[in-house]
Amino acid sequence: MKEHYFFPPARAYPLNRCLFQLKSDPAFLARYTSDREAAMSELGLDETARAALRSFERDRLIALGAHPYLVFMAGLRVAIESRPTAFEYF
Amino acid sequence: MPVVAAVACPHTPQLLIRPETEDRDLVLRVHAAFARVKRMLTDVRPDVICLIGGDHVEGFFLDAVPALAVYAGQSISGRFGRYEYTLPVHEPLARAILEQGIEREFDLTGSQDLRLDYAFYVPLHFTMPEPRVPIVPLYVNVYLPPQPTPRRCYAWGTALRAILDGRPERVALMASGGMSHYPGTDRYASPDYDWDRQMLATLEAGRGAETARLTGEELDKAGNVELRTWITLLGAVGDARAEVLCYEPSWHHGNAMVTWPVTSR
Repeated sequence: MKEHYFFPPARAYPLNRCLFQLKSDPAFLARYTSDREAAMSELGLDETARAALRSFERDRLIALGAHPYLVFMAGLRVAIESRPTAFEYF
Repeated sequence: MPVVAAVACPHTPQLLIRPETEDRDLVLRVHAAFARVKRMLTDVRPDVICLIGGDHVEGFFLDAVPALAVYAGQSISGRFGRYEYTLPVHEPLARAILEQGIEREFDLTGSQDLRLDYAFYVPLHFTMPEPRVPIVPLYVNVYLPPQPTPRRCYAWGTALRAILDGRPERVALMASGGMSHYPGTDRYASPDYDWDRQMLATLEAGRGAETARLTGEELDKAGNVELRTWITLLGAVGDARAEVLCYEPSWHHGNAMVTWPVTSR
């Protein structure tokens, strides 16, 4: 069985860099939220990676070499940024 | 001085940010178990908390992925949304662990510049004793294979205990992680609760040393890559029988909190 977590392939470095910054760099997250295309251009992502990020479909991102945990937490941070009322509900 | 407390606990951020996806009563039961740990830590009057955590690709990205690391700066900061933390670090103890660990042939990475991961601040948010104490963040790589083997983690824990036993500080030793969860994968909504319960029974029976014989493949399969932090702590507490404070399986996470009795050696 393939393991759930893997050391990402080198070709996916820009994609993982983007997910990492969405998760861990609030200034980048803010830029991405306000102008996604410009933010993606900062990181030298190719069109395949950019399309996968626009869709933010987990399996598609992971197939390109994105680390599953980074996909998970980057998605959560984007959700918090765009829908803050969904949190701290009790 | 002896290690004065040994605790393993979860750190899932949903415990902190309480999104609508979570079962309120379950989260509050986990909070209650954290409160018991906070009282326990307050009672034993530690000088410092050594917290063994797995970095979630926060302090360490793909620029460098240490198997085992020690943070030896003056303080360390992290944030999750509006939650921001800056925690003082017990630099003399951190430095001693780094130096003596290397001397004992564990090739530790030292750092004075890391963003603090939620594996550290979520448990401390709930359990920091009164009065507050400085921490020493100890890192075990859990999410970026190849991770250290369970055997290596256990051996590092044993060496860590020997180092701590030779120090003047009263140390509360904590492990942050687990239990079963699979963030970012298609198994996110189906953790392996049976595996967790069997593991907890093993720990309650005082058979923690058996965790050193697990394989990385088994941990990954069971959604327990983070158990490496517990295994490190088990190397420090040996065959003590665990007391399970809570096991609360949510739809995505086996929330377990466990303590071990510690005696001076």
